[in-house]
Amino acid sequence: MARFAVIPGGRAGASGPLPSTGEARGGTLEELYRCHAAAVYARCRYLLRDDEAARDATQDVFVKVLRGAEELAAATSPAALLLRMATNHCLNLMRASRAAWRGEIERIARERSVRGIEPDARELVRALLGVAPAEAQEIAVLYFVDELTQAEIATESGRSLPTVRKRLREFLAAARGALAEALPALVLPDPEELP
Amino acid sequence: MSLKSTLGGPGVACSAMRIRRLAAGEIAGEERARTEAHLAACARCQETERELDRERARLAADLPFDMLAAGVAERLARAPGAGTSRGIAERLGRVRGMRVLALALAAGVAFAVAVPAVLRVAHDRPSERTKGGAELSVWVRDGSGVRALAPGEPVPGRAALRVGLSPAGRRFAAVALVDADGAVILHAGAAEPGVLPGAFEWTGSGEEGTLVLVLDDTPIDAAALAHRLAHGGPDTAAPGDGADVLVRPLRRGAR
Repeated sequence: MARFAVIPGGRAGASGPLPSTGEARGGTLEELYRCHAAAVYARCRYLLRDDEAARDATQDVFVKVLRGAEELAAATSPAALLLRMATNHCLNLMRASRAAWRGEIERIARERSVRGIEPDARELVRALLGVAPAEAQEIAVLYFVDELTQAEIATESGRSLPTVRKRLREFLAAARGALAEALPALVLPDPEELP
Repeated sequence: MSLKSTLGGPGVACSAMRIRRLAAGEIAGEERARTEAHLAACARCQETERELDRERARLAADLPFDMLAAGVAERLARAPGAGTSRGIAERLGRVRGMRVLALALAAGVAFAVAVPAVLRVAHDRPSERTKGGAELSVWVRDGSGVRALAPGEPVPGRAALRVGLSPAGRRFAAVALVDADGAVILHAGAAEPGVLPGAFEWTGSGEEGTLVLVLDDTPIDAAALAHRLAHGGPDTAAPGDGADVLVRPLRRGAR
């Protein structure tokens, strides 16, 4: 039998710097990868909680980026745009498996009651996204995970500031409703006090 | 006992996104100086910066550039209405105003986008072996990066290889490596355009070998193919009259 050695990871060889094309910001796949892929992959892992699914989602996001290159070229912040694209892509995937997503709050409550593990803020946000209206989900990620101010979210998402405030209120209201049963001891911030 | 959760969110001067933008080189001038000064004194933002380092390490381990580029190229080639590979590259280049093809060749996205343009001469008997534009390509990564292995070019010692194919509408594909030691099936299954998953190193003892691609509209029996190749060589690869067979000779370079 012919002999060959499989190289783990499906890579064509050892990792290392690839030749630079010298293209401007956002202009090449390699450049986009170097600047933004880590954030995109991390966002996909955070939301999907599955490495394989996150790898697929990251590649899907980069395909969308290449197809929407005019939007990328016009973006004030490619980093913010790519993260938003990753967030929305993953949220769409998660909506398709809503049943499993909703179980997250019960899992967190179980870990707290059985093992005494207090929920990490971002993990809690992720779980609570499942009970929030679709329109509020992206806004919640932008605010609680990306840590944009409400004014920055309005600019970034093209929504009005009152709409952003309304979506955050919707998210927190839905979150309170879900936590009242699963984690009644947890007190969420007052939306009027959010910066 | 109640427990107040802030759920995170922006601080007075803290923002994960701002640190990301700083790392991506998107902040300049006074804002950059202000952000750097804040970062130097803020434990929360320093933790964010460390988190970005962990994200980069995770990406390098889980999804290196080659893998991402190959996946992107495969998706582009698979998309409905994608047209020819050259068409994809031309369309992207026109829309984006970017040097897509040059980029692709340099960076590896050419796995699917530019393969046919580069490798039409990759097989030695096209008139006898191809129907409808099916193609077999070999990609190599060595010290100089990722590139197409040119026809007749020796396979560099210890180089990592990947095989790309364009099935020309055929539904099933099998790829085999045949050399003095026998035959081994590298892939058997659905015929997807692009690069096959998994890189490999040719470690056999012979100095010459052959990559064989079989395309058919019905599933290909991999074991039977391996048996035929081992005993009859590439000329016996076709399972029947309806299959296409592409052959790519390999010659080993210095080890």
